[in-house]
Amino acid sequence: MTAVSARIHVPATARRGEIIEISTLVRHPMETGFRRTQLGERIERNIITLFVCTYNGEEILRADYHPATAANPLLTFTTVAADSGTLEFRWTGDNGFSVTERTKIVVV
Amino acid sequence: MKPRRREFLVAAGCLAGGIGLATVAGRAHANPAALGTALQKVTGGASIRSGKVKLDIPPLVENGNSVGLSVSVESPMTAADHVKAIHVLAEKNPLPNVISIYLGPRSGRARITTRVRLADSQQVMAVAELSDGSFWSDTRDVVVTLAACTESVI
Amino acid sequence: MTESLKMNRRTFLISTTAVGGGLALGLQLPFGLAEAEAADAMPEVNAWVLIRPNDTVVVRVVRSEMGQGTITGLAQLVAEELECDWSKVTTEYPTPGESVKRKGVWGSFSTGGSRGIRTSHEYVRQGGAAARMMLVQAAANQWKVPVAECSAANSVITHQPSGRTVTYGKVAKAAGKLTAPDPKRITLKDPKDWKIAGKPMKRLDTLDKVIGKQVYGFDLKLPKMVNAAIMECPVFGGKLKSYDDAKVLRMKGIKKVVKVGDTAVAVVADTWWRANTALAALPIEWDLGENVKVSSTSIAEMLKEGLNAEQAFVGNKNGDIKTALTGAANKIEAVYSYPYQNHACMEPMNATARYTPNRCEVWVPTQDGQSSFAAVLAASGLPADKCEVYKINLGGGFGRRGAFQDYVTQAVLIAKQMPGIPVKLLWSREEDMRQGRYHPVMQCKLTGALDADNNLTGLHMRLSGQSILASVRPHILEKQKGRDPAAFMGVFDNGEHSYGYTIPNLLIDHAMRNPHVPPGFWRGVNINQNAIFMECFMDELAHAAGQDPVAFRRKFMAKHPRNLGVLNAVAERIGWDKPAPNGIHRGIAQMKAFNSFVAAACEISVEGGNKVKIHRIVAATDPGYAVNPAQIERQVAGSFVYGLSALFMQECTVKDGRIEQGNFHEYNSMRIAQMPKVESIIMPTGGTIWGGIGEPTICVAAPAVLNALFRATGKRFRSVPLKNHGIELV
Repeated sequence: MTAVSARIHVPATARRGEIIEISTLVRHPMETGFRRTQLGERIERNIITLFVCTYNGEEILRADYHPATAANPLLTFTTVAADSGTLEFRWTGDNGFSVTERTKIVVV
Repeated sequence: MKPRRREFLVAAGCLAGGIGLATVAGRAHANPAALGTALQKVTGGASIRSGKVKLDIPPLVENGNSVGLSVSVESPMTAADHVKAIHVLAEKNPLPNVISIYLGPRSGRARITTRVRLADSQQVMAVAELSDGSFWSDTRDVVVTLAACTESVI
Repeated sequence: MTESLKMNRRTFLISTTAVGGGLALGLQLPFGLAEAEAADAMPEVNAWVLIRPNDTVVVRVVRSEMGQGTITGLAQLVAEELECDWSKVTTEYPTPGESVKRKGVWGSFSTGGSRGIRTSHEYVRQGGAAARMMLVQAAANQWKVPVAECSAANSVITHQPSGRTVTYGKVAKAAGKLTAPDPKRITLKDPKDWKIAGKPMKRLDTLDKVIGKQVYGFDLKLPKMVNAAIMECPVFGGKLKSYDDAKVLRMKGIKKVVKVGDTAVAVVADTWWRANTALAALPIEWDLGENVKVSSTSIAEMLKEGLNAEQAFVGNKNGDIKTALTGAANKIEAVYSYPYQNHACMEPMNATARYTPNRCEVWVPTQDGQSSFAAVLAASGLPADKCEVYKINLGGGFGRRGAFQDYVTQAVLIAKQMPGIPVKLLWSREEDMRQGRYHPVMQCKLTGALDADNNLTGLHMRLSGQSILASVRPHILEKQKGRDPAAFMGVFDNGEHSYGYTIPNLLIDHAMRNPHVPPGFWRGVNINQNAIFMECFMDELAHAAGQDPVAFRRKFMAKHPRNLGVLNAVAERIGWDKPAPNGIHRGIAQMKAFNSFVAAACEISVEGGNKVKIHRIVAATDPGYAVNPAQIERQVAGSFVYGLSALFMQECTVKDGRIEQGNFHEYNSMRIAQMPKVESIIMPTGGTIWGGIGEPTICVAAPAVLNALFRATGKRFRSVPLKNHGIELV
């Protein structure tokens, strides 16, 4: 994969204690390792195996991905808006794949 | 998972005032051993009750390459009482584990949405692990319609 | 009874005179709109059978009618066990949404693989029998007599001891409230006792078609409906980059120009013609991608390389082919090829969608209502209880409208951009020709070994070409270490599709070569080319061995009595043992396909070396059971129209990554004057497995004629279509 990109949707501002929705999407083929070429050769597995979301350094959600996660993994989840600060999203996987995205949130 | 699938077929027959059908579940065979192992890993052998969990997934999909699903669990999501993990499993996939999500009171709500791959018509199961150590689940049948279309050529 | 079924039975009358001065007919439409009024109450006895007080029987059928006669055949099977009056039988389509609510009670909607009847005959007959048992029980209850004293025939229940009678319509409501019998208690009739099934009943859909009452998808007109024309990137795999709608938005009647997914753009207008005209004028930029370099020539080269490649997937194998070929006294070799072909349904792809954030409804001619429904769910993003699909009889399907629901997805994506307004998406003929899911390309190198006594001692059949399942169901290949089992349809030793010979030292393998053109299931699928390769080469081998082609085949058919049965039947009927009339040449072929055994023999003459006239075709079919012999006869005859059109005329060529042919002047079909009489021999031999009818015969049409053509001209024509060899059908 050449171009790596992730799309994150987090509200820019939120009220303290509000439950906010976070959606994440990262470009990745999620090659299952089960597929074959037309010559019958197995195509090596190449997937994201782990997604971690931290909020001001504290882990709020973690996900194990498997080959059954569709290409360009999408995950939508929620969190309680605690403090202003930074949400960090990290995907790691096969072949040293690692992508980190950060977004700011203002909590009032 | 076999009894579950039967249950589904029998239900179909009852509603019809007629006849149970054997065509819905598709031709690929479930892999109960692999599913059992995967469930064992998730629960450590604890029993799973049905309830509390709601799995939303289309009953019919065309090809299974990218199937949207959401799982929500009834829970106050407090420090004392919350959902620790949500696991999605698919009995007829080459690997039954689909996704595992670990969350906690800071999540506010136990609800996730993702997109998965389904190899064949099958049952998809969402299992939630609660902070009190109990396990709850919801199971849905998904028909991959392309599986029916290609049935006769193989 | 549920809401959606009530709506499905509504008929809605639309006068077409107001719209474009068309036929002044009241067209009856399958309707789901809330505006439609309630129909008469109609008691449902069970999921399959509804009976009105006036004894009208409605049989529910979920397989789609596309001219193949399935609704009539399935209704015959239900009616047979129901013991009802056939003259009062009609049918209706339950909706896919209703099927979801009732947990799939009607089984698969998929109408492909010639499976409509053969895979559902048991449960539909049980449905009819269960309804009969409930009706008889209801009458017995009413009379307070033991059910064993009552019998049913012709929609009348009789209490034998007293002679009292009651018609089905009078007890249907009470019957519907009874508990269904345990399927284990149901004994189905022996087919030899059939009175309705097995008989050449008239089709239930003919009258509506003849008088113009049948509304096809592309005739559909809904109140306030708008029309859409679409263009998808003509190079497969390419994407829509941009378009400039300023130029067309001012054109008359144009409502909107919309992006459809990543690959297509549609123009919506008050009439379809205006939409399509504006589409043609719309400046569009495509991101054509790498595939723009691909041509028929480059594809042919790619396949040719596969003919001698080291690696190939083994489909069928026995003995030691290498030794057999090395030790051959005479080695015969031939290379055949088969082109891309389009389904070319007379009615182009279409779907009509109405979307609101709360409901999405689609009217569509489809071979699989459930697949259409799945496409609606995915494209609309709405849950199943907010979606519905209303099936419309098809103006041709042939495999294009089953596994592929691209037009449904497109219609919903357009309708989503115009909430509340019904949008009819109709593909132009050109779009239909160029966005097909094509019969895959295949080349085949056959090598046969004859010993010094001209016995066939070995056969190697190397296929090189495209896999349908690699594109459509890669999951199946994963389980087979990359092999596509469907590539070998028709050349297995047994199973649904089997060539019927036992050949010592055999290897049939497939070098998979997948060009970018999307392949699909084209009526008969891969048996079409495999039957040509196998049956023409058997003729070549017989000729090289100096033997009669039928006698030569028979030597390998001892273990395949039913293949042999149909071969002998056509040989006898065409008079194979007697010389053909002067100037007439014969050819023959056989196969087992879709669990039916089929054979064809033909008589042709050739004038001027290239003008072929087919004088006579004899076809034999052993489908196990013949539910409607008249319909089988028509399907068999139609199979020759389809198979011979493909043989003589049809090819989709690729240039700059796209399909060149755009309309019927470049992609022709047989005309009625070119079509000989088909003498059909229907010879069901029973057994536990029922065979299909819609597809099997197509595969023997081409090889029978090709083999006759060799006898007439002394030349082997090894590539399709014959027009490329300058050969015409007259």
